[in-house]
Amino acid sequence: MRAAIEARRLGAAVTIIAKGPVRATHTRMSGGRFNAMSGQNPKDNHDIFFADTINGGAGMNNRQLARILTQEAMDRAYDLESWGLVWERRGPDKYLMAGSGGGTQLRMLGSYDEGIGITEVMIHATRKLGAGLVENRMLVDIAFDDEGVLTGALCLDMRHGRWCFYRCGSLVIATGGTSQVYETNSGPALNTGDGTAVAYRAGAELVDIEFMQFIPISFVFPPSIRGYTLTEPPFYGTRHFDINGEPGKLLNAQGERFIMKHDPVRREGGTRDVLARAIMLEILEGRGTAEGGVWLEPDPKVAHHFQQERPMYTKRILENYGERAANFLEAFQVMPSALYTTGGIRIDNWGRSTVPGLYAAGEVTGGVHGANRQRAAALEQPLQRSDGTSPSAVKRRIQEMTTREVGLVRNGRGLEQVTDTLAEFREQVLPRLAVTGRSRVLNREWMETIELENMTAVVGCMAAAALQRTETRGAHYRQDFPERNDADWSANLYVRKDGDWPRVEKRPLVLETDAPAQPVPARAEAGA
Amino acid sequence: MTATMSTHVRIFRSDPSADEASRYDEFDVSGPDGMRVLDVLRSVYENQAHDLAFQYACRIGRCGTCGVKVNGKPVLACQERATEAMTIEPLSPFPVLRDLVIDRDEVEEHYLELDLSPQRAAEHPGTTDPIDPASGRQIGILGTCISCMICVSGCPAVADRPFDGPAFMIQLRRLADLPADEAPRLEQAIDHGMLECFGCDACTQLCPADLSPADAIRSFRREALLGRGRKSGGKRG
Repeated sequence: MRAAIEARRLGAAVTIIAKGPVRATHTRMSGGRFNAMSGQNPKDNHDIFFADTINGGAGMNNRQLARILTQEAMDRAYDLESWGLVWERRGPDKYLMAGSGGGTQLRMLGSYDEGIGITEVMIHATRKLGAGLVENRMLVDIAFDDEGVLTGALCLDMRHGRWCFYRCGSLVIATGGTSQVYETNSGPALNTGDGTAVAYRAGAELVDIEFMQFIPISFVFPPSIRGYTLTEPPFYGTRHFDINGEPGKLLNAQGERFIMKHDPVRREGGTRDVLARAIMLEILEGRGTAEGGVWLEPDPKVAHHFQQERPMYTKRILENYGERAANFLEAFQVMPSALYTTGGIRIDNWGRSTVPGLYAAGEVTGGVHGANRQRAAALEQPLQRSDGTSPSAVKRRIQEMTTREVGLVRNGRGLEQVTDTLAEFREQVLPRLAVTGRSRVLNREWMETIELENMTAVVGCMAAAALQRTETRGAHYRQDFPERNDADWSANLYVRKDGDWPRVEKRPLVLETDAPAQPVPARAEAGA
Repeated sequence: MTATMSTHVRIFRSDPSADEASRYDEFDVSGPDGMRVLDVLRSVYENQAHDLAFQYACRIGRCGTCGVKVNGKPVLACQERATEAMTIEPLSPFPVLRDLVIDRDEVEEHYLELDLSPQRAAEHPGTTDPIDPASGRQIGILGTCISCMICVSGCPAVADRPFDGPAFMIQLRRLADLPADEAPRLEQAIDHGMLECFGCDACTQLCPADLSPADAIRSFRREALLGRGRKSGGKRG
């Protein structure tokens, strides 16, 4: 959306195509926290921010993208402010800053609207500039002419149940993450990795796709909220406003503070990968609760502060876990949940993918954190088939398998099995999917058949890269290779489509000293 | 583990694109105690009516896309606890695309018309906008409106009079409180029917984000009668 605003300002004709309702985004669910160098913490600087980012990314980050992120984040925070977002303040021109998991300084801005405001002000700013914004249209494939020049985007207009084609010179994919390939996830139900899969099918390279970030703590029940983030343990203790303070404590079913086995220094204030893995190991090894979680013991002393600052989380805790939990007077159950797809479409410093004319932005990209029109005919077939498999049942099977084998705990044998199972899915299951309803309007099953094709492609890429990386690093934990191996694996894995299968290639990290990509002169035409 | 419950639901079915009369289909669903209306809809879709059209994304009351009427009361499906007998219908008074999904085009046009980006006297300076922290907090809280249209659906004045509805007033109020915004938000609120509000507080009772659109409207009314003081942290009177 930020790209759309800039393109409009430069005079390009822009249309934003949203798969669901325009407000159904991950940002809106995020909590609205934003790490940026505001210059208001004298102890902090760009280099510390950069170092925290690289450390948080277990050294895998594209250094050039990470540098751009740390240097430009504050300008983007001001953009949001100019469109009407109010960052929390402790004085009229002094921002209220907090610490985040893995951050060594207080630098995180926040807004009381917890992410809703970010999306709202951007929607209003985008529309004010005259960018088109259409809902319920799912990007299905990118079209190229005979010379390989990008010519447009094929979409399924779900509202009317018909195909539509957007002609454009440039296309920016900003479809968010892939968290729906996991059973327990913290993202919106629409984030099935469509953009990642579409770009992959169009020949774009993916990077770091084996890294999936899990939020360490999320709700365990009731079912509708299972997997929804509770942010991080530091917020439940004094660590939240004191970098040397104590985070909320995690206990297994036997009452043991198990983090001490994994990270005795940072304890529950460490990075999300270490925390999530520690919790998942407790659960998998049988020391979790009957409902499949562990206990979080909050510090009652920070309850008031938490309630003031995070009213929405307080409300969720109150509604689902009761009053004593919401007042931090008793421990409540938490579990890890798939949150953020760290890897994704490989971009250069200007947001360009490896396919000319195709750009990517946001969660769909990888690196910074560590077709053609005939296809429509095939995609109509599930609608005409009278008997076959229901897509929602298949979706569940993929989610279960991905959670089990490509989740927080992985091993070679399981990852190989995933590849075999996906091959079977492609040959046996996907061609037999059938849609029950005959209406073409808002046909959820039809949408799910397309999602399934994307989800199998994305999980295939994740499994292939995860199988290659024979070490443990960041969010990627291999039981059969439990140690980090800098000698062999200070490198990124790139995935691209080779015939029907993902081909994985290992290349050195992108360093700041490498020659940066050159910008292209601005063009007067763009689509998004 | 948690106990279970069961519910009998009647769900409104309609496909304006086909030439069929609307109807109600009935289903029995069981699930864990405390399950939400959304859990019921998902279960019906996955196990009984694969062709049910319904909408949701975030599951936690943030995206505002799963609004429906349960036994006549507008609610967010993901937040409302299921009860033993429910009639589930799309939000009125909006046009229906299919089954439980409404057409929100009119809503978006309305937002566009209200021009909800701040109208600044000068470009943002690229440094912190001065805003009093308490007032900033208030503005931030008004910013938690999720545009779900529950309040508009439940507002008796909207049904009866030329009033856009509480959700739009809360957006205008947010900008009226923002020091950088120079647009005449009170006049806009009046033009869009603010004075038609009955003051019944139904919107506040129904709001899934725990906001009070009625209070926002009352602030505008006070301002209309008494004029306004200086915006906190800001420039104009």
